[in-house]
Amino acid sequence: MDENNKKIGAVMVVGGGIGGIQASLDLAESGFKVYLVEKNLSIGGVMAQLDKTFPTNDCSMCILSPKLVECARHRNIELLTRCEVESIEGSAGNFKIKVKKHPRFVDVSKCTGCGDCAEVCPVEVPDEYEENLANRKAIYRPFPQATPGAFGIDKSGACCECMQCEKACKAEAILHNMLEQDIELNVGSVIVFPGFDEFEPKLREEYGYGLFSNVVTSIEFERILSASGPFQGHVVRCSDKKTPKKIAWIQCVGSRDSKIERGYCSSVCCMYATKQALITKEHSPDIRTTIFYIDMRAYGKEFDRYIERAKLEYKVRYIRSRISEVKEDAKTHNLKIKYEREDGELVTEEFDMLVLSVGLDVSRSAKDLAEKLNINLNSYGFARVDSLEPLKTSRPGIFAGGVFSGPKDIPETVTSASGACALASALLSSVRGTLVAEKKYPAEKDVSGDIPRIGVFVCQCGINIGGVVNVPLVVEYAKTLPFVVYAEDNLYTCSQDTQDTIKEAIAQHSLNRVVVASCTPRTHEPLFQETIREAGLNRHLFEMANIRDQNSWVHMKQPREATEKAKDLVRMAVAKVSLKEPLGRISLKLTSRGLVIGGGLAGMVSALRLAEEGYEVYLVEKEDTLGGQAKDIYYTLKGEDVQKFLSKLIEKVTSNNKIHIFTAATIEKIEGFVGNFKTTIKLNSSLKELEHGAVIVASGANEYQPTEYLFGKDKRVVTQRKLEELIATKKLNVSNQSSIVMIQCIGSRCDENPYCSRVCCSEAIKNALALKKMNKQVNVYILYRDVRTYGFKEDWYQKAREQGVLFIRYEEDDKPEVKLNKDKLEVLVKDLILEEKLLISADLVVLSTATVPSEDNKELSQLLKVPLNEDGFFMEAHAKLRPVDFATDGIFVCGLAHSPKFIEESICQANACAARACTILSRDELEVEGIVAEVNELKCKGCRLCKEICPYGAIDVELKKVLGKEKEVARVNPALCKGCGACSASCRSGSIDLKGFSDSEILTQIGALV
Amino acid sequence: MQSVENRIKEKAAELLTTKKVDLLIGFERGTMPLRASPAFIYDEADIEKLAWNSFCEMNLARYLTRITSKRVGIIAKGCDSRAIAALVVEGQVKREQIMIIGVPCPGMVDRRKIEKEIKGEIDKVEEKKGEIIVKGNNFEKVFKKNNYLYPCCKVCKHGNPSIYDILIGEKVKENSKVDEYAEITEYEKKSPDKRWEFFEKEVSKCIRCYACRQACPMCYCEECFVDSFHPKWVDKSLDFSDIAIWHIMRVYHQTGRCVSCGACERACPMQINLRFLTEKINKDVKVYFNFEAGLDLSVNPPLAAFDIKDREDFIDTC
Amino acid sequence: MKVKEPKIVAFLCNWCSYAGADLAGVSRIQYPPNIRVIRVPCSSRVNPLFILKALQEGVDGVLVAGCHPGDCHYISGNYLARRKFTIFKNLLDYLGIEKDRVHFTWISAAEGARFAEIVKEVTERVKKLGPVKRLVKNRSA
Ligand code: SF4
Ligand code: SF4
Ligand code: SF4
Ligand code: FES
Repeated sequence: MDENNKKIGAVMVVGGGIGGIQASLDLAESGFKVYLVEKNLSIGGVMAQLDKTFPTNDCSMCILSPKLVECARHRNIELLTRCEVESIEGSAGNFKIKVKKHPRFVDVSKCTGCGDCAEVCPVEVPDEYEENLANRKAIYRPFPQATPGAFGIDKSGACCECMQCEKACKAEAILHNMLEQDIELNVGSVIVFPGFDEFEPKLREEYGYGLFSNVVTSIEFERILSASGPFQGHVVRCSDKKTPKKIAWIQCVGSRDSKIERGYCSSVCCMYATKQALITKEHSPDIRTTIFYIDMRAYGKEFDRYIERAKLEYKVRYIRSRISEVKEDAKTHNLKIKYEREDGELVTEEFDMLVLSVGLDVSRSAKDLAEKLNINLNSYGFARVDSLEPLKTSRPGIFAGGVFSGPKDIPETVTSASGACALASALLSSVRGTLVAEKKYPAEKDVSGDIPRIGVFVCQCGINIGGVVNVPLVVEYAKTLPFVVYAEDNLYTCSQDTQDTIKEAIAQHSLNRVVVASCTPRTHEPLFQETIREAGLNRHLFEMANIRDQNSWVHMKQPREATEKAKDLVRMAVAKVSLKEPLGRISLKLTSRGLVIGGGLAGMVSALRLAEEGYEVYLVEKEDTLGGQAKDIYYTLKGEDVQKFLSKLIEKVTSNNKIHIFTAATIEKIEGFVGNFKTTIKLNSSLKELEHGAVIVASGANEYQPTEYLFGKDKRVVTQRKLEELIATKKLNVSNQSSIVMIQCIGSRCDENPYCSRVCCSEAIKNALALKKMNKQVNVYILYRDVRTYGFKEDWYQKAREQGVLFIRYEEDDKPEVKLNKDKLEVLVKDLILEEKLLISADLVVLSTATVPSEDNKELSQLLKVPLNEDGFFMEAHAKLRPVDFATDGIFVCGLAHSPKFIEESICQANACAARACTILSRDELEVEGIVAEVNELKCKGCRLCKEICPYGAIDVELKKVLGKEKEVARVNPALCKGCGACSASCRSGSIDLKGFSDSEILTQIGALV
Repeated sequence: MQSVENRIKEKAAELLTTKKVDLLIGFERGTMPLRASPAFIYDEADIEKLAWNSFCEMNLARYLTRITSKRVGIIAKGCDSRAIAALVVEGQVKREQIMIIGVPCPGMVDRRKIEKEIKGEIDKVEEKKGEIIVKGNNFEKVFKKNNYLYPCCKVCKHGNPSIYDILIGEKVKENSKVDEYAEITEYEKKSPDKRWEFFEKEVSKCIRCYACRQACPMCYCEECFVDSFHPKWVDKSLDFSDIAIWHIMRVYHQTGRCVSCGACERACPMQINLRFLTEKINKDVKVYFNFEAGLDLSVNPPLAAFDIKDREDFIDTC
Repeated sequence: MKVKEPKIVAFLCNWCSYAGADLAGVSRIQYPPNIRVIRVPCSSRVNPLFILKALQEGVDGVLVAGCHPGDCHYISGNYLARRKFTIFKNLLDYLGIEKDRVHFTWISAAEGARFAEIVKEVTERVKKLGPVKRLVKNRSA
C-alpha cells in the first residue's frame, strides 16, 4: 500500500457543540486520536446557552458541563479552539487538513481562569453569550464553565490595547502579540457538526423585532430564564425590567416559510416554546402564557405528554393561528397582536412581552466549510444526505450530522454524532489504537499501615486567594495539624512548575498524603491527582480544600473571617486525608463480542456496523426471517427504494462471517454485566449460551391493529401500509373520479396510546403524492389533527397541497365517521372552518395506524433489568444526552423498540448503538473507578435495602459462607457501581460503605469542623 | 377463647406429627398470673402447653430471625403477621419456610394496669366474653377488657393477620374509623420547647439496656449502629446527646418497618414512652407515602423506593 | 463579649449544588462566611446520622442540598434523599429541635445566586436561634 493510502487512526471533528463533543468522546473512547476543531473560544455550542431542556426540564448546563470537562481531560482529544478548517486533501482513510488557528492572545496552558484581567479591563462590549442582553469585557471567558477555561481577548474592535490585563495577570499568560498559526493535521476521517445559528428575525419585519423593545427571540428568552443569565432568572421585559403579566410566543418565525427560503420546519420550536412557557409559569405562576402556532408538532418521545402537562397543569394557552400583525403601544411598550381565530374572526389582543420562536438556520459558517471540504449541500444550504445513508456526506470518509444535515433536537444530534462515529470507526478499524496515548507511571508506593505524612500546599492564586486570605498564616497553621509534616504556599499551585515542586516535596519529605488548598476539585482535582500519581502515590491519597471559589471569592470584604474559614477547611481536608486509603482501579476482563436482539433494519445495521468495526456479533431474531417491519415499506418520502436497500442489507449481514445469525430464536436468560454478559437463547427447542460484552436492543415494534372505521369488515378500509403495498405492487387503479380518504392518528394520541406515532403524517403524504403521480385528478383527502411533517418533510406537505391533496382537520373529541350507505363508503367529518359536517364518498378509506410497542418488551425489559416508559417503549438512560444508552452500562437501544420513528432515524440510532457499544468492546480490559461501595459481610444481614435503591442495579444479595456461617449478604458489582453512596447512607447497620467518601471520612470532617 | 386455644393445639399437633414443621412457636401460660410467654414446641408431647388468652401480647416474629430450624410454624396475631410480612420483604424470613397460623386478635390486656388495682396474691384468672375475672384469696374482681387494653391495641386497625396459611378463629371486626395517630396529632400541637422538654424527660430515663431493641421484631442487625466501633457513631456514654441520638436513630431506622406492636415500650424497664416516637414515624409514613408496614408482600417499604411525585414540603425554597 | 459566630455545615452534592456554590464564587456573589462545605457525591449519600453528629459536635446549623428533582447525576439519588429527609426533618421538628437548625434544598449548577441567597437566609435564621444547645454533647462531664 502506498503512503497516501495508508489509513490514519485519527479523526477530525469540526464543531464543538454537543454533537461534536459526543462524537469526540465516542471516538476517543474507541481508540482514536481526535482533533476537535471549534471556531469559538470554548466548546459547548448553543446548548451552553439554554436554560432547561424539554421534555424533562433538565438544567442544560448541569448536564452539559461534565461533558465539557471530560472532553478537556481526555487524553485522546486535542481541543483546537479558535480554529477553522482551511483546506483538505487526500481521500477516505487519509486526509491532510490545514487548520487556521486564530490568536486568542492568552496562553491556555498558563491561564488559571482567575479573571483578574477582566476585572481591570476598561472596555465593555455586548456579550454574545448573553445574546447582548448584558455586557462583557474585551478580555473574557464566554461563560463560567467554558472549556478551555482560559480567557481570550476580543481584538475585533473591542480591545483598546491598554495592557492593563497584562499587568494584572500574575500568571503571565497574556500575549498581546500572539499570531495566527497554520496547523497541518493528518486524519483518516472527518466528522462535521457545525451546528446552527438562529434565524435572524429582522427578516420578518412584521413582528417588530429590533423595533419594539419587548419583542425578544426565543434564544434571548432562554438567557432571560437562566438563573445565571442577565436577570438572574427573573422573567422581566427589556423595556422596564418589570415582570410581564402576559407573554405570547409566535411559532414558525423563520420556519415553514418558503418566501424567505425557509420552507422547512425547524422541528424543535413547538417543544421549546412549550418548555419556555412552562418554566415561565414555574418562575412566576401569575404570568399568563399564550402560544400561537400552526400545527403542534409534538412528534417525539414523551412530547405529547409534555404538551398536555403544559395545558392542564400549567394552563398554557395554545391558539392555532398565524399572526398577521404586531403593533407597539408607544407608551406602555405593550404589544398588540392581530390574529385570525379559527372561525375566521379577526381579533386583537394585547401582551406585554412577545417571544419569537425563531427557527434553525444552518450554521453561517457551513457554506464556506462545505466548500472547503468539498461536500454537497441541499437547496437550503444543509448537508445533502440520503434517507438510507443519513450520516454520509457526498464525499467518502466525511460524515455529518446534527442540524447540519437537517433540523434536530439535542438527542437526535447526539445520536447522529455517535452514529457518525460508528462509520468513521468502521472505516478506520484496521488502525484503531495506533495513535492513542498510553501513559506510563511509576509503581505505586505501598503506604498501607504507614503513619500518615501529609503535605499541604496552599495556593495564592495570584491575588485571588492571597488578596483576601492570609495565606502564610494558613500555611503556618497547617504545620500544626496532626500528621502534617510539610506545608508551603504557591503563587499558583496548578502551574506546571508547582507540579514539580509537589513531586519533589513528596520525595524529600516522604509524604504519603497530599492536601491542596486552592480552587475547586471539580476542575482541578484530576490535575493534582495526576501529579501525585506521577510521584508514585495512589490518586486517592489526596484531598482539596476549596478556599477560592467557596471562600476568598465570596468573602472578599472579610479577610479575617475568610482566613479563619480557610484554616477550618484545611483542617477538615487534613483530617479526611489522614484516613484515606489507596483505592485500586479494578480491572476486569471482557468479551469483545456484541449481541443484537432483533433482526429488523435497526438490528441488522447495528450488527453490520459492529462487524465492520471489527467485532463478532450474535444477531438474534425471533421470526424465521430477517427484515422486521421494513419488509412492508417500499419507498421513502424522497423516493429511495427501501426493498432494494433491505435485500442488500440482508445479503451483507448474512455474508459477513463476523455475524452469527440465529433466526426463530428467543432469549431465555441474560446474566452478567457490562463486558461480561452470558445470554441463553432457545433455538429449535434446544438451549445455547452466548458470551458477549455488550447488548443492543433492536427488538422493534408492531403496527396497531385497528378495530375502528369498519376495518376488517369492509375490504375498502385498509391501513396505510396496505395502500403502500397496493401502490408499489401496482395492484391499485385510480381513475379521475376516485376518491381516497386517509384518516390520521388511528391508535395514536388517544387515551390508550397517548403518544404520537411520528411517521404517519409523512407516510400519508408520501402515499398521497404517489396516488397523485398515478393520476393527477384523483381525489385525496387527509383527515388530520396536526400535520407533523417536521424538518424537510414539510416540503412534501407543501407539494401535496400544491397538487391538490385536501387536508381537513378534525378534533379529537369530534372524530370522523365512516359509514356504509348501501354498498357505498361514506366519510363524515366536521369542517372546522365552515362549522358544518362534510360528507365524502370514498372508494378507499386508508387508516394511518399507530406504531405500538411490541408485546415482548415487558419480558425483555425484565430479563435485561432495564426500564420501559409509560407507553411500553424502552426508556433510555437520559432523554437528552444518553439517547441510545440504558442506565445499565453496556446495554443500548435503537429503532422502534425505543419509540416510533422513520427509517433514517432508526439507521442513525443503530449506528449510534454500534459506536456506543464499541467504546466498550474496543477496550482491552474494563477499568473501574475506585470510588465504589463495599460491603462489610460480617455485619451485613442481606436486608435488600441497598439492592432495592441502587439506581444502577449494582447490588445483589447472595448466599455466602462468612466466617464459616452460611448467610445472605449484599454484593456490589464494582463494574456497575457509580459511587453515589445511596446504599451506604441507607444501610441501617453501616454494612456498606462508599470508598473515597466513607462514613469515617465524613465523620472526621464533621468533627474537624468545630 | 377456649375453643381457639384448642384449635391451636389441634393444628399444632397436626403440623408436628405430619412433620410439616419442625418447630412451632406459640404462647404458653407464664409462671406468674396474668402472663404468657413464648413457647417453642419441637415435640408433640409439649403441645398441651400452648395457650391463647388476653396476655399473649408478645410479638413472636421476633424469634424468627434468631432460630435455625428449617420449617417453622408460628402463631400470629395481626402485629405478628405484619412483622413476619415485613421480615419476608427484607429477606430475613423465607415465606416458604414459615407456616403462619393466623389468629385474629381482639386486643391484648395490659397486666400492669390490672395489677395496680389488685392487692394480694392472685390465684386464678378467668376470661369470659370481654371480661377478665381475677380471683385471689379473699377477692374476686371483674375487669372490662376493653378498658385495660394496651395503648397500641386500643387503636389497632389490623387485628386480623395480614398474611397467613391457616386461620384459626373468627375474624375480628377492625375499627377502621379510629384515628390511631390522634395522640401524636395532639402532641404535635405543643410548642417546640414543650416537646423538647418531654423528649428530654423521657429519654433521660434511658439506661441504655437496649431491651427495646431486644424485643423489637424488626431489630435484627448483626451489629446495631449504636454498638459500632468503626465508625463510632455513638459514644458509649450516658451523656444525654448520645442517648438522644440512639433513640432518634432507632426510631428513624423503623421508618416504614415498625408494625406498632408496642413490644419495645413494654420491654422498657424505665417505662419510657416509646410510642410517641414510633407512632410519629408511622404517622408520617402513612401521611406522606400512604404506607403501613407488613400489609403487602409485594410493596417495598418507603425508604427502599421512591415516587417522582412524592411531596416535598419540607424543602426550603428561600 | 462578642457573640460567637455560628458555624454551619453544608453537605452539597458534587454535580449540582457544589457546582452551584462554585458558580457563586466565579460570579463573586458575596455571602456570610459561616458555611463549611462537605462535598458528597450525591444528596443520597447523606446519612441522617451525619446531621445528628454535626449538631452533637456543636455545629450550629446544617444545610443539605442536591440537584433538583429529575436532575440527579445518579438518576434517582435525590428522590431517595427526599424520602429520607421527609421523615427525618419531620422527626427533628417533632422532637422540638428548632426548625431552622436543619435545612434541605435543591440547588442546580446554574444557581450560583440562589446558593448565595440560601446561605444568607440559613445563616440569618441560625443566628437568630443562637448557638446550638439541644443535642450538643456535654464535654465537661
Ligand atoms: S442495606 Fe446493609 S444490611 Fe441491608 S443488605 Fe445492604 S449492606 Fe446488607
Ligand atoms: S454507591 Fe450507588 S451505585 Fe454504588 S452500589 Fe451503592 S447505590 Fe449502587
Ligand atoms: S419499633 Fe417497637 S412497636 Fe415498632 S415493631 Fe419494633 S418493637 Fe414493635
Ligand atoms: S448528584 Fe446531585 S442529588 Fe444526586
